[in-house]
Amino acid sequence: MLIALQNIGEHNNLFLAAVLLYLIAAVIALALTNQHKLCNLVTNSICMVAALIGITAAIIRLSTDAILAPVTILKSQIPFLLLEIKIDHLSAFFVLCLSVLALCVSIYSIGYNAHYYQKRNVGFFNFLYAAFIMSMLMVIISGNAIFFYLSWEAMSLISYFLVIFESEHEENRRAGRLYIIMTHLGTAFLLIGFMIMFAYTHSFDMFGSSELIPETAKNLMFTCFLIGFGTKAGVIPLHIWLPYAHPAAPSNVSALMSGFMIKTAIYGLIRFVLCYLQVEQLWWGAVILCIGVISAVLGVAYTLMEHNIKKLLAFCSVENIGIILIGLGVSFIAAAQNNDFLSSLALVATLLHTFNHALFKGGLFLGAGSLQYATHTKDIEKLGGLIHKMPVTAVLVLCFSLAISAIVPFNGFISEWLIYQALFLNINMGTAGLNILSILSIAALALSGALAAAAFVKLFGISFLGLPRSDHAAQAKEVPIVMNIGMGILAAFCLIIGIFPASFVKLADRVADSILGSSVAETLQPGFLSATVPLTVSGNSIAPGEVLIALTVVILVVLLMLRLFWGKYQARKYGTWDCGFESINARMQYTATGFSKPIRIVLSILYRPGRKVVIEEGESDYFPKSVKYKVWTESIFEKYLYSPVIRVLKSGSEKMIYLVQTGSVHVYLLYIFISILALMFYNRVV
Amino acid sequence: MTNYLDALSVLLLVSAFILMGNKRTGSYIKTFQFQSALVALLTGIIGINSFAEEGRVDVLIIGAIVVGIKVLFIPYLLKKTYAKVAYRVEKDFFLNIPLLIIICCFIVVFCYYVLSETAGINTGIINNQMVNSVSLILIGLFFMISRKKAIGQIVGFLVIENGIFVTALFAIQGMPFIVDIGILMDILVAVIIMGMMVFRIDEKFGSINVDKIKDLRG
Repeated sequence: MLIALQNIGEHNNLFLAAVLLYLIAAVIALALTNQHKLCNLVTNSICMVAALIGITAAIIRLSTDAILAPVTILKSQIPFLLLEIKIDHLSAFFVLCLSVLALCVSIYSIGYNAHYYQKRNVGFFNFLYAAFIMSMLMVIISGNAIFFYLSWEAMSLISYFLVIFESEHEENRRAGRLYIIMTHLGTAFLLIGFMIMFAYTHSFDMFGSSELIPETAKNLMFTCFLIGFGTKAGVIPLHIWLPYAHPAAPSNVSALMSGFMIKTAIYGLIRFVLCYLQVEQLWWGAVILCIGVISAVLGVAYTLMEHNIKKLLAFCSVENIGIILIGLGVSFIAAAQNNDFLSSLALVATLLHTFNHALFKGGLFLGAGSLQYATHTKDIEKLGGLIHKMPVTAVLVLCFSLAISAIVPFNGFISEWLIYQALFLNINMGTAGLNILSILSIAALALSGALAAAAFVKLFGISFLGLPRSDHAAQAKEVPIVMNIGMGILAAFCLIIGIFPASFVKLADRVADSILGSSVAETLQPGFLSATVPLTVSGNSIAPGEVLIALTVVILVVLLMLRLFWGKYQARKYGTWDCGFESINARMQYTATGFSKPIRIVLSILYRPGRKVVIEEGESDYFPKSVKYKVWTESIFEKYLYSPVIRVLKSGSEKMIYLVQTGSVHVYLLYIFISILALMFYNRVV
Repeated sequence: MTNYLDALSVLLLVSAFILMGNKRTGSYIKTFQFQSALVALLTGIIGINSFAEEGRVDVLIIGAIVVGIKVLFIPYLLKKTYAKVAYRVEKDFFLNIPLLIIICCFIVVFCYYVLSETAGINTGIINNQMVNSVSLILIGLFFMISRKKAIGQIVGFLVIENGIFVTALFAIQGMPFIVDIGILMDILVAVIIMGMMVFRIDEKFGSINVDKIKDLRG
């Protein structure tokens, strides 16, 4: 074997340096296992440096047009095993996304991991953490399908170990099991796709041409990639692992998993379907669009029902992956119709939403981690009143919630707006069936946006406002400052992208330009203030900066009017009327279950809600000793799709094992005998 | 020379058929001894030939070792094992003997069919030596399947080994010296271990009927 670090192009070496730094961080973490605090500090610092290098390299790469030659890391005698890095604009964009997130999460981890000191193997945790970031980076920068596959598998396995890191809880082990089964199912489909690719082209080069592959095989490859990447992305109905795995993992890891790992699937879809297979069939885009719509609506519907903060966020990831896939679907449809402009626009929107989602979902998971750090619970029904105890965290979580609900002036608005624009444009040009699909998608997107806002009103309102609902919440303290710094940087990015979207749109635009050969940024006209850049496409224009100013002005005017007509505001102090009970307590507050009740009734066909009231009779009917009220919802996918399949598989395997494994030596010898005869026969015939 | 070899290969095949036709465990061992003697004779002939033509002595040495291990020592070990455990006569095969012999005939025909067009073996005419020796391997395996008692499995295993050894001799005039020595040592150790296992099985189940091992299944 020959290790060759070729010195081609500075930028590629920067990427390589980032990979190596993560590797060093992982090794150092193992070396310093005994000194928890030092280990944590050193590992995360190295990760931060690596992330900064990654950001620099990605920005340099995005601003140059040169096509860089691949860098070979490892050339071996084993057939096809060639580890090489190839970085185009698409890879660079995703590296930027990963590095920004990794930077903030690493800063956060310095504080967050403190609760593991002297309790768990911090060295091993940090080893897995750094290796996990490295594997994700390698997925993005790999230059051929074999390297991609190896990195993908490494990423899946390392994340599995992170999911079961707190393995003393049965539910975490169960989540890990479900995750590894689902992820390997997806990987198997990817492998089939790569094998079809090799069968026709005799090469694993994913930057090459797919001209030799016939149409049927291309359709088959697309299906395999869709299932394979769809499983990782967590689209409905393959989302089943996501709401279990994300809550099980430590919060900083959930932030990486939800923020970036599921995005590697988006990268894979763009890389293999859009770049490699060159979308030719209209139905590819239509299928992705449909899956996106279903994931977006159902994902957010399940989000509303969850009271476990991390499960809630996990379902919300399903929703956002749905939104991203809606954009990607439009891009594919337009690419199949050779409409380069619309395809570019939709791709820019997709990429931007991917980037934005990494920022605010990463931030929200970090926020959930802070809550868990301070209150030791994931159940939002036990929180409340935290805005007084943890003001900084509260403000940051509010920022992320606004961003994810697509509210001006945060970044979520920009990308969703672009996706709307793409969908509207798709109506004008498409055929009748596609027009209906686009219109329905717009309606579904609007519905999911509104429901997402409701879900985050619930999340923020129940956890941060009101009175504390448990002792833990009452005794919560503000988390260490480094944790807030990590989240703060993410929040700042959310705000900056929201107010100055043009520069970030340009970054995404360079990717779309390099893939589809059509630039969008120039058609997005500049605004009248230098700070605002309206995104104008065919008359539907809006300037986030101007909206922000308008919003401020409107609020000020309303306040002024109130002041003018109603006079000076006077604070009055009275006891609130408590309906005749002795005093007001936390249990009289609105609960998360109560908040989501109207939606549970409206969408009861989806949730199949059930409830149970147990009343312990007291002396009179009006004074029961205790009343227990329990409400639950069912997951129709688990009940009607997965359970039957698992049942059949399980009973089938149980029967099979007794049929094949008889325990008789003679039968085992017979198997050998028959297989030898069969092989000899095969040799004769073929 | 070829005539001698052809005749010996047929004799080896016949010995395999005799083995399949044996009813008593004691006669398995005698037949195996006879077969091993044929193998040793074959090795001797090829050894003399290679000594005369190329001056190599390694095949002759192998022949001497075969006589020592397979013709004398292993049958002696088996007889000792057998004497200790065989206190009961019971039916030892699943199918009756005529049926087994007919199946063996089919195995030979199958081998003939399979090897008749394999490239690199046949030079103009079909290589009967190869057909016979490969048949020997398969019959050995089939013998293991057809017998219930553990001694049957041991003998079947040894027949397979004989078959492989003979195939190597016919195909390339014997494998490298060190490989042959290694294989013979393995066989010796395997037989010793299997002999001990037979004792254990007998102790545990009161029989050396391998079928009873089924009871161990969970």
